[in-house]
Formats: sequence, C-alpha cells, structure tokens
Amino acid sequence: MKSIFNQRSLLWLASLLALIGAYTAIASAAARPDLIPPSQDIAEAFSALVSGPSAKPAPGEMPAAEMSGHAHHHHGRSTDQVDTLLQAGVTLQASLGVSTLRVLFGLAVGLPLGILFGLWMGWSRRADDYLHPIYVLVRSVPPLALITYIMLWLGHSEAHRLIPIVYAVAVTAVIPTYHGVRDLAAKYLVAARSLGARGSLLLNKVILPAAGPAVLGGLRYSIAIAWMTAVGAEMLMADDGMGNLLVGGGMWASRLQTRSDPAVIIVGVIALAAAGWAMDAVAQAATARLTRWVR
Amino acid sequence: MGAVRIRRAALALLALALVYGVAAEVAHGRLPTRVWMGAHFVEDVQLLPTYGSLAEEGAFLVESRILPDSIVVSSRRVLEGLLLGSIAGILLGLATGWAASVQYLADPWVTFFRFTPALALLPLFVVWFGYGESSKVLLIAAGVAVITLLGAHQGVRRVPRVYLDAAAALGAGPGLRFRKIVLPLAFPSIFASVRIAAGLAWVTIVVAELIDARMPSLGYLLALSGAYPRVPTMLIAIATVGALVLAFDLAALLLHARATRWMRRSA
Repeated sequence: MKSIFNQRSLLWLASLLALIGAYTAIASAAARPDLIPPSQDIAEAFSALVSGPSAKPAPGEMPAAEMSGHAHHHHGRSTDQVDTLLQAGVTLQASLGVSTLRVLFGLAVGLPLGILFGLWMGWSRRADDYLHPIYVLVRSVPPLALITYIMLWLGHSEAHRLIPIVYAVAVTAVIPTYHGVRDLAAKYLVAARSLGARGSLLLNKVILPAAGPAVLGGLRYSIAIAWMTAVGAEMLMADDGMGNLLVGGGMWASRLQTRSDPAVIIVGVIALAAAGWAMDAVAQAATARLTRWVR
Repeated sequence: MGAVRIRRAALALLALALVYGVAAEVAHGRLPTRVWMGAHFVEDVQLLPTYGSLAEEGAFLVESRILPDSIVVSSRRVLEGLLLGSIAGILLGLATGWAASVQYLADPWVTFFRFTPALALLPLFVVWFGYGESSKVLLIAAGVAVITLLGAHQGVRRVPRVYLDAAAALGAGPGLRFRKIVLPLAFPSIFASVRIAAGLAWVTIVVAELIDARMPSLGYLLALSGAYPRVPTMLIAIATVGALVLAFDLAALLLHARATRWMRRSA
C-alpha cells in the first residue's frame, strides 16, 4: 500500500517538475518575454508584487525603463502593469486577502440562503410547484450580468461586488440541498412519519442528517463559483482584489487597456489556484469530519 | 400530478409578472430618476421600467437588428467554445479515468486548472490571442474542458470493477470493454458535466464581452446600456441572456433524454 502511494506521489512530483521544466524550455525557445515570460520574470513579478510599492525604483528612473518598450525588458520588472499596480499600492497578499474576504462573505450569506431555500423546496411539494419555475428563471441569469443594474440601485459601493457573489453561491447551493431532501423523502421520510415522527424531531433526526452529505457535497461547487464571481466582479468594477490585479489596476472604463504583463497575470492565476485549492481542502476536511458517520 | 404542477407553475410565473408590472407602474414617477454613477449624476434613469417602455425598447432593439445580431454572435461563441472544450475535456477525462498512469501525469495540471477561475485567464488569453473571437472562444473552451474532464474522469471511475472483470473473463478485449461498458456507463456523468459547463460558458462569455466590449454581442449590449445608463436595454439584455441559458439547458436535457432512452427500463 505504502509503495503504491510513494509511486503515485513520485509520478505526481515528476509531472509537476516536467510542467515547470517544459514551461521554462518553451519560454526560452520562444524568446518572447512579452507573451511567454521566462520563469525568472514571473519570480521577479512575484517578488515585486509581494514586497509592494516600497521596493520599486526611485521615480526618476522609471520613465527610462518604460521608454525602453515591452519587447525587451530583461533588466528588472518595470512593465506598465507592475508600475500601475505598484503606484496604486497594490500588493499580492492584500489583493488576495480582499478577494478571500469577499468570497467568505458570499459563502457566509449565500450558503444559508440557498440551503434554506433548497430545504423548503425539497420538503414541500407545494412550495416546489410554485417556487421551482421562479428558481429556474433566477438561476439562468448569470450573476455578473446584474452588476451594473445593482450599481444603479445601490450606488457605487461594495454592495454591487458582494451581491453577485451571494447570488451565485445561493443559487448554486439550492440544487444539492433540494436533491438531498428529495432523495431521502422516498426512503426514510415515509418510515419516520409512519412511526410518528413530526416537526423538529423529523428535521433534526431524519432530514438534516440524511441530506447533510449532499448539502456539504455542494459546498465545493459553491466555493468554486464564489471565486469565479468574485474575480469577475473585481475585473469589471473594483479598485482592489485579485480581479483588479489581473486587469492591471486603475478603475472603470477601458480595463485591459494598460498593456498587460503576462508575468503578473500568471502570478495572479497561480495565487488564485492556490487559494481555491486551500479553501477546497479545508471544505473537504470539514465535510469528511462532519459526515464521518456515513461510512 | 402533471396538471396541478403546470397550473401552479403558471400561477407563480403569472404572479411574478404581475408583481413586477404593478411595482413598475407604482414606481413610475416616484423612484428617483437622478442616479449617482460613481463619477457624475445621470438624469432620466428609469430604475424600474414599465412594460410599456420595455416593449418599446424591445421593438427598437429587434428592428435595428441589434438584439438578433448580439444573440447570434454570443451564442456562436458559446457553442464553439463548448464544442471545442467538451471534445478536449472528454477525451482527456476518458484517458485519465481509464489509465492510471495518465491520471498521475495529468494530476498536477488538472489540480491547477481546476481551482483557477476561468475568468482569471481572460487577460492572459487577450495577451496571447488578441482581442476578438479566438481569445473568447478559447477562454470558454478552457473552462469547459476542465469541467468535462472531471466529469468524464469520474464517470469512468464509477464503472463497477465487476463489470470489467466479468467482461474480461468472458474474453472481451480492452477496446470492446471500453466501448460497450465504460462509455455507456460514463455517459450520464459526462453529460451532467457538459450541462454545468454550458452554464459556466455563459457566465464566462458575458463577462469576457463586458470587459472587452466591442462588436455586437450581449455583453457589449450590457456594457453599452450600463454606460448611458439605459435600464430598459439593460433589463432586456439580462433577460435575453437568461432565456438563452435556459434554452441551452432545455436543449441539453432533451438531447440527454433522447440519448439515454435505452436506460429507461429501470426508471
């Protein structure tokens, strides 16, 4: 058993190293740092974004580096995007922190909403009949399409970034809960009811334990969709967070207009993947603990 | 059961439409029409447009071919990305599910892309493939590929070992086992993932078109209506996107029902 595990992790590690190696080889073969930045550029962009504005060169030196153009900036990481971000005081860790908070807020508000709604629709045939068509309509609207409309109502504030995340999480959390309750209805509910269980006893001892695994299973999707929505909302209208870092700082119109630096974007994408992975791992561990009794 | 459900559904939708209509009429002239847009005030904003103005705006958008063109452009992007991504994702997923060595090799890559929000790749794709069609289609394809890969992989993995062993014991070669056992049994899982991916594709395209708003497309329409701002156009664009998502989902369900007719015996 142990040897299999070792072999597996060896292959995994080998593949990861091959991934990095292949990237480095392709980057140096392509010799186009403006498209495929060499690993060293990515590392420099990373350290520039982590250490923040204090580490950037003195203002006097900057224009010269900027003038030299984008195709051949081998000395230091002074590209438009890094400069714009550093001037705005953006750091990687602060951006990631803000985005994480938004995602957590979306989960904290959206999950209970979605789960309650799912429980209600799964539990009551009548509620299902009336609410399901409306739910299908609501579910079909991509949350980020609403962002401008929400902004008209609530003004330019944190609300129009948070509401789409809450909306996306809630809509996603409904489905597994609904099916969890639905599936158990046939099996246990009839038995429990015929034995006289009602009200809170039924809810606490039958419905919640039986639907729990399905509800928690949906958590992974909710986390993924929350990150996606948060990044999208920040790309569209925010002056902080990972989405803002990816599109290069600055606010409002003509996003993506600053000449993007792929090294910065790759750093951002790796950071997002790591954050998403970490949050998923926590959710998985929590799920395993909470549903230990299932097996 | 059918009749009651349909009546209740119709009632709920009707009530929703009625509530909106009444709210819009009541709000007409009462809601503020001057809205703060972050940098300046905008006059004449109908926060809750009445059905009358929605119909007027809708007629204009259809007559001027703006809406039909946008629908065609955005749907084509989604379809192309969905097709491209599904083919790549399903083939890879079948491979990782079928052969353990492929799985371990692909694992770090899959883990990485799985937790990367597809939208985060947009700026990178713009750098690589330029503004315009290819970066949007490929962005959708990338997001779709990850989801369908996982769907196909899990579908193959859920095939009971007994079936494969039994078939092997009866002399079926790997090719036959793959075609006759693995593919049919993995199909529902693959299909479910394509359905999820289609929803995600629409989320992706709307934002991609919003961020890089050019040419007729639904995202462009949303961006334009947000810039003025012109709420009736905005709401029509939102409703159109919703209707298209719904239509894609229904089409997928119908296709699924047709393709799995042979499974119906147990249900």
